[in-house]
Amino acid sequence: MSVVGKSVRRPDVPGKVTGAARYAGDLALPGMLHAKLKRSTVAHALIRRIDFSRAMKLAGVKAVLTHESVPRVLHYGSPHPRSASLACDQYILDRKVRYWGEAVAAVAAESEEIADEALDLIEVEYEELPALLTVENALASSVLIHDTKNNLVTDPVRVKRGDVDKGFAEADLVIEGTYEMGRPTPAYMEPNVCVAQWQEDRLTMWISTQTPFMVRGILAEVLGLPLAKVRVLVDHMGGGFGAKQDLFQTEFLCALLAKQTRRPVRLEFTRKETFLGGRSRHPGKVWLKQGFRKDGTLTARQARVTLNSGAYGSHGPGVTAVGTAALTSLYRCDNLMLEGKCVYTNTPIAGAYRGYGVVQTYYALDIQMDEAAERLGMDPCALKLQNAVREGDIAPSNHAVVGHGLEDCIRRGMQEVNWPVKKKTKNRGWGMGCEMHGSSAYPGIKEQGNATVRLNEDGSAQLFTGTTGLGTGAHTALAQIVAEELGLRFEDVSVVHGDTDVVPWDIGAFASHTTYMGGRAAQMAAAEVKKQLLERAADALEASAADLDVSLGMIRVKGSDKSLAVKALVSPTRGVPSKQFVASATYTPTKSYSFAAHFVEVQVDTETGQIDVLQVVPVHELGKVIHPVAAAGQIEGGIQQGIGHTLTEDYVIDPVTGRSLNAGFVDYKMPLSLDMPPIRTILLETAPDPGGPFGAKGVGEDPIIAIGPAIANAVYAAIGVRFRHYPITPEQVLEGLKSR
Amino acid sequence: MKISLGVNGEKRELEIEPYRSLLDVLRNDAGLTGTKKGCDVGDCGACTVIVDGKPLNSCLMLGVEAQGCEVVTIEGIRHPLQEKFMDLGGAQCGFCTPGMIMMAKALLDEKPHPTEEEVRFAIAGNICRCTGYTRIVEAILHVSRR
Repeated sequence: MSVVGKSVRRPDVPGKVTGAARYAGDLALPGMLHAKLKRSTVAHALIRRIDFSRAMKLAGVKAVLTHESVPRVLHYGSPHPRSASLACDQYILDRKVRYWGEAVAAVAAESEEIADEALDLIEVEYEELPALLTVENALASSVLIHDTKNNLVTDPVRVKRGDVDKGFAEADLVIEGTYEMGRPTPAYMEPNVCVAQWQEDRLTMWISTQTPFMVRGILAEVLGLPLAKVRVLVDHMGGGFGAKQDLFQTEFLCALLAKQTRRPVRLEFTRKETFLGGRSRHPGKVWLKQGFRKDGTLTARQARVTLNSGAYGSHGPGVTAVGTAALTSLYRCDNLMLEGKCVYTNTPIAGAYRGYGVVQTYYALDIQMDEAAERLGMDPCALKLQNAVREGDIAPSNHAVVGHGLEDCIRRGMQEVNWPVKKKTKNRGWGMGCEMHGSSAYPGIKEQGNATVRLNEDGSAQLFTGTTGLGTGAHTALAQIVAEELGLRFEDVSVVHGDTDVVPWDIGAFASHTTYMGGRAAQMAAAEVKKQLLERAADALEASAADLDVSLGMIRVKGSDKSLAVKALVSPTRGVPSKQFVASATYTPTKSYSFAAHFVEVQVDTETGQIDVLQVVPVHELGKVIHPVAAAGQIEGGIQQGIGHTLTEDYVIDPVTGRSLNAGFVDYKMPLSLDMPPIRTILLETAPDPGGPFGAKGVGEDPIIAIGPAIANAVYAAIGVRFRHYPITPEQVLEGLKSR
Repeated sequence: MKISLGVNGEKRELEIEPYRSLLDVLRNDAGLTGTKKGCDVGDCGACTVIVDGKPLNSCLMLGVEAQGCEVVTIEGIRHPLQEKFMDLGGAQCGFCTPGMIMMAKALLDEKPHPTEEEVRFAIAGNICRCTGYTRIVEAILHVSRR
């Protein structure tokens, strides 16, 4: 292949290294007002009275909105197509407050400073309700956070296969444990931001979102507008990692403030607000029990997964379903009984975040496999290899697995690090973790990828795609796929994106499906344009279209030296191109799985309790690598976030008041440049998926999953203390060493 | 109030609010939005610019303090770092990139051949959430070896 598989220069990066790239927050419109949100100072309460008369008297304040002045429309917290993945439990502003820091009013003013000052002049009187700050409290209490019969976001997820009782009866070893997960947040660098402007009755919104068409849809629905009256624009985005699929209520408030003031309105979160009003990963507990025969064969697996959704449902139902279903696989087991619960609490909202429930459940699973290996007297890699999911097995999505990706990753990693690694230094150790993750959200969402490819009269091509540029390089991968399929040079393909008025409908950039699904749609559209081209060329070259091929912009008759440049074929005669070559394609994918095994070496300082990750060798099976540097970049970044959530990152909520205790980058500790170890990334292409473009599968979510258990297992190898939770803090390491 | 300063080699007279940070002055009053606001409290480094030869967080300096100073932003440089960031995967979402490149430039201006440890130390106040820093460090070291 001439374009796919090459690390071409990403067209989005020149603007990023020169400062020319425009993000939603860079926009300044004439007459633009600035909005700020008043946030609650209690965790659970009814609003008795809200008085903003003093705020309105402040010079420069143009409008204030409260629950009394916004449309009361119940809506989904994330604007996905209606599906089982989401909860419908939000109002633009409500008369009830469900967590500390929830928005209760919005102000638009001439400057951010005036808007800020006005917030202090808004008086809110609360009638406090008991705050349910833990899952245990929420499940035991008769106090309800929403109008539901209990504090569950959705009915429990249940998966049953075979007979677990029989499986446990056949086991020589039964092992069980409870594993606990903290509250990491995506902490994207670009705070949430949007700008709303009305032109007559038409709303335009510039926004940092992963799902512009979904934002368009829900704005139209909640504000009572036809779709054609809403235009959503997204150019560059400063990261999202899943969380920017949600609505943050700012979209509605910005639009309503702009309508009321007849001025454009901009609302940007402060960094603190990205914690308060953003989305975290679901904190959770996983009780897991497995049975093994002496030879290592798994006989039964039983689990109860309990996730803390926070004050709203957001992606809770989807995260619970995906995380729980993930326990059906990775290591083959015929007898399964799994239950997943998602619980409302009066804490900040958990939502979609890279790994989507699987981070939590595979943390438990992969640590327990390590524990079982020791009890069985087996090497953990050998135990995992023996039980590894393989071709034809039923994946969590109920599809047959393609290829032997997991085994390939484990074997290659073992070779790379020379496993089992002999312990040479005290308090150092190696561990490994595995994962598989689906490309696309099917079957939770019936997915669809769309693309239009059009040739310009100079022979270059334009891809129209609705997918957003999160920063992953997805548009580059899509352009590579089009160039490869169409037989053009990479430089001759450009990408049009980011405008719901122009590009084909798109479900959004999430679920590791952009290259897999959007790429396949782009490939299909390109193939159709190629067909049109070759049919046209057949006449010119006096050959059958079937005998023609196109590569790097030249159409050739196979087995002869007759050729014609694409440019010559489409080029204008007297100013008019020979024809409009254009095609659209729709691709409805099912699902494929990518696999990984992470090998990690850690060192534990037994005096301070500090865990240092010394090196990581991630092996990922991706079917086909479209852009090696971008793929490796996804993996390295995912590992960074995974090291963070395993060792240092935890968004802490005060157990008494529900206040956020560390909503900022000084107290919420992410890995910095000095904390990151060398990462030797290995990409495999051993199990290409027939559903992906050129066999390609997703890579975005995978790398954050396996790193966590790999670290916990390495810590055990280093100091013999087993940790079954994250983050693993130095204090806990010291405690653990004492009780060793 | 009025301030006069050099921005990317050009003398600018700006009418600014006295309480505005240099970051807001650059973005809103000078129209240079390449410098990013990631936290506004000096924690993330996305707003790093070079003032009189020294890198600093422009969110922590008042605009008025820049009176008479020479400020260089991402828009004002053409540096081999930019090429290497593009080629080696040093930029993903790009939001930390301007600050990261300005910090790296300040380092290389002062110390043209740093060790990897020195590079990592220099950018320790610049948070990147996409790359794991691996390729950023590689890009900076690449330039330093030229």
